[in-house]
Order: sequence, then structure tokens, then C-alpha cells
Amino acid sequence: MSSSILEVRNELATALASVGASVYGSVPEAVIPPACVIVPDAPYLESRLIGGATVNLKINFIITAAVAYNSNPGALDNLEQLVIQILGVMPNGYVVGDVQRPAITSVGASTLLTADLSVSTYYNQD
Amino acid sequence: MPTTIITGRDITLTIDSDSYVAQATSATLTVDSTINTYQTLDGKAYYTTDTQGSLAVELLADWGAASSLCEALWTAATNAPQTGLGVVLVADTGASFAFDVQPILPSAGGTAPDAQTVSLAFTCVTTPVLTIS
Repeated sequence: MSSSILEVRNELATALASVGASVYGSVPEAVIPPACVIVPDAPYLESRLIGGATVNLKINFIITAAVAYNSNPGALDNLEQLVIQILGVMPNGYVVGDVQRPAITSVGASTLLTADLSVSTYYNQD
Repeated sequence: MPTTIITGRDITLTIDSDSYVAQATSATLTVDSTINTYQTLDGKAYYTTDTQGSLAVELLADWGAASSLCEALWTAATNAPQTGLGVVLVADTGASFAFDVQPILPSAGGTAPDAQTVSLAFTCVTTPVLTIS
């Protein structure tokens, strides 16, 4: 149980801290690869439980894994290793979905190879 | 006058005094009637001979958690299988159903990617009493 959704995101970011990449609990202005970025998925918040006295929500996140895109084989290998590390440290209480097809993304002056992993958890208002 | 709707967010559910609101995704009380039909010289006549209530609950499994509802149900069903559990289902403020159900054992496990869920189909051992306030 967490007191805010920010706390949920921070707990997830803390769990990801051991993967050897920059971890961002929200979208940063600049990304230092390799990186894991926690961003809201769509739908972001879902009401799934009965009762309305307290707020109980299903929260959907995307964890975007990003590595520097220098060469095709090297970047893909780095991305795969990063994704495997992320999957290995996912905390209990998370539904872990699929990893989407890698894509090349430009952020500022950086060119990144990225892949999105869908995860979800439940939030109960204290 | 505006149309009134009530939703699942208006429901509260307690079983054996434990609140299931934070775990349950669905709770439905159904009372089926057994109705005999008689063909008379004056047409059909109907007579209700029995009613049987059932409570269907879907919830997110919480095995291993502190104050686990799944474990509470399991304990009740194994330690006192013949002792009814008191249930209060509030469909909305002012419409409360009270009844007892026979304890049943919740399922455990699930499919790999999804949250583990438990589907419970309780048999009511007392006729639900509606309290309107």
C-alpha cells in the first residue's frame, strides 16, 4: 500500500536501480543511455475494484528501455540484455506484460534504440 | 428527475466481518425462485415453492499477505465447514442485504502473465434479508 502514485513510481524506480542503467521515474528532459524510463501507459489508471469509500486503482506503466544506437547488432544486444535485467528485478505485485518491438528514437542529440515493456500494479489509497 | 444509476463503486461487501472491498472486482447476489406452474380450468396458476440465494464474488488473490482474505476463507472452510459465515452486501447506501453463506475453499494459482484471481460461488444458507434505510 502506497500513499501516492508518485510513491508507487519511485518504488518501481528503486527496484530498477540495480540494472546498471539510468532510471527515471518520470519522463526526463534528457536521457543518458542506457536508461529505464517509467511512463504512464494507456489507459493509465483503471477502476477495477468494488467500493468507492477509498480509491483503489489499477495502474498501467510502460518501462521504456533505451540504449545508445551506435550499431545495429551491438545496440540490439545491449537492449536485450537491459530488458532481461529489468525482467529479473521486477518487484512482487506487478503484472509483467510483453516487450514491444525495438524502435529507433531521437531524443535531443542522442539516437536511442528503445523497447517498451508493459507492467501494471494496484494502488490502494491509505 | 435525473436518472439514477448505481455502480460497482457503491458496493461494499463483508464476509465474516472482513471487508472485501480492497480485493473484490465483482460481487453479485442472486436469488433464484422455484416456481411451479399449474394448468387450471381458469388458465395458468403459479406457485413459488422455494428460493435459493447464491453469492458470486471475483477477487484478486492475496495469499501470503497480512490479513489475507483468501487465507481467512480457507481457515473458515477447513476448521468449521458447517458453520455459516455472515455476509453483508450493500448494493448502495440504504439498501443492505444480510445473509449467511456456507464456507467454501478458494482456488489458488493462475496463468503466468496475469494477476491471480479467485472466483467464489457461495451458497446462501439463510434467505437474504433486505434492510432499506
